[in-house]
Amino acid sequence: MPGTPVMDGLIRRTVQRHLPWSVHVDLTYRCNERCIHCYLDHEDHGEMKTPEIKNVFQQLAESGTLFLTLSGGEIFLRADLFELLECARSLHFDISLKTNALLIDGERARKLRDLSVRKIQISIYSSEAEVHDAITKVRGSLERTLSAIRFLQAEGLKVKIACPLMKQNLLAYRNVQALATELGVPYVLDMTITPKMDGDMGLLQLRSSPKELLPILQDATLNPRACSTDSSAAQILPTGSATSSGMESQAYDDIPCSAGHNSCYISPYGDVFPCVQMPVATGNLRKQSFEDIWFRSAEMNRVRAVRESQLPVCSKCTIRQYCERCPGLAQMEGGDLSGAYERACELAELNARIGGVTNPVSAMHAQKPNTSGACSIPLPNAATEARIGSS
Amino acid sequence: MNGQITRNPKLAWREVDGEMVIISPEDSQVHELNETASLVWKHSEGKTLDELAEKISAEYEVARETARADLEELLAALGEKQLMFVSPEAKG
Repeated sequence: MPGTPVMDGLIRRTVQRHLPWSVHVDLTYRCNERCIHCYLDHEDHGEMKTPEIKNVFQQLAESGTLFLTLSGGEIFLRADLFELLECARSLHFDISLKTNALLIDGERARKLRDLSVRKIQISIYSSEAEVHDAITKVRGSLERTLSAIRFLQAEGLKVKIACPLMKQNLLAYRNVQALATELGVPYVLDMTITPKMDGDMGLLQLRSSPKELLPILQDATLNPRACSTDSSAAQILPTGSATSSGMESQAYDDIPCSAGHNSCYISPYGDVFPCVQMPVATGNLRKQSFEDIWFRSAEMNRVRAVRESQLPVCSKCTIRQYCERCPGLAQMEGGDLSGAYERACELAELNARIGGVTNPVSAMHAQKPNTSGACSIPLPNAATEARIGSS
Repeated sequence: MNGQITRNPKLAWREVDGEMVIISPEDSQVHELNETASLVWKHSEGKTLDELAEKISAEYEVARETARADLEELLAALGEKQLMFVSPEAKG
């Protein structure tokens, strides 16, 4: 939907009015998988109870939220999930779910259909059970997840596969693409591995290096830059963030993304953040109303004030069009919401080279040369790969 | 014809600047209603055509018959898009 003229128009209006149009709520951090790249802990530190969450839903509806994404942790570990979904339905939200689907059977799929859930995003790391199950650390998890997808499809529900890519499953993207085609569902490949929410950077070791990502970035079925210098073509990329608000659009103009402008994130404990990937605490719903936090939090307004054209380093970058800088990751990895960070610069340089730019150097690396060598990765077969992929 | 009007219960919707934005979970289609259609959307649930025509007539200062004819046309268009229905059993 984002990217259509109607939605772009609505996105502009909701941004101008600071309407919290899309809200992601994690109902729990508990989980029945132990994915090696997960940024959460899996304890219950005092989740909001059923009436508290219903109250949050009521406040969101009154504030104008239309798109409600429920995620976790694993949402089906909440005994009150269907009660919460019934509440959300009665408030006329557009409901999307993110789940590993291990606990979805035929009856639960039917209930989800009856509650008019529009979209269910399910993580799959590979079509090979040994690869997928090694990441989730649950033997048989791929088989159970695939079985659940079939239950959901039998009820006519829309499923989307999300495939976070890391060293352990990098080249599995091809078999995930094939699996998605076989199942007739869309997919998103997510190359973002984030630090833990508590700031622990250990998970970043799982990230594939820019050199390792090259086959994906050069795959013309995924990256139009591999066969075109028209960067606007990137809008059709099936790569992106599996945790995003789903509100990506050109309509944001000079603001970095939807976070804090027309979308936000709420933790199981009632903490409100501009985005799940932006650890800027703006308030807690057990102490304040949603509107108080959304409209009056100094931190929310600080995030809202950031403009792309005023970023101290990135606004001067000559390869900015090739960059997918995330302000939340800039905060987590570089310590500055408005700053540049290594990973984004490396990938931007790589994308620029694939797009035909000779010796691209990001503004940050122009000030402080890169030592990882991403700029010097040879691209021997770019043209050949592009022809194969685009034929 | 004076059936009872109902919204499609599967739809998600919210008001933005006085206009209704509606999403169908079945095809992810986004519908934006204009001011008049939004008024009908907001005030029609459970009402009959006659009751709603009365309200529109008062709101827009138009003749009741004109309001009713316009309403029938609008509801037919909304029905075609599976957004609103006029219950057949209540047709008079």
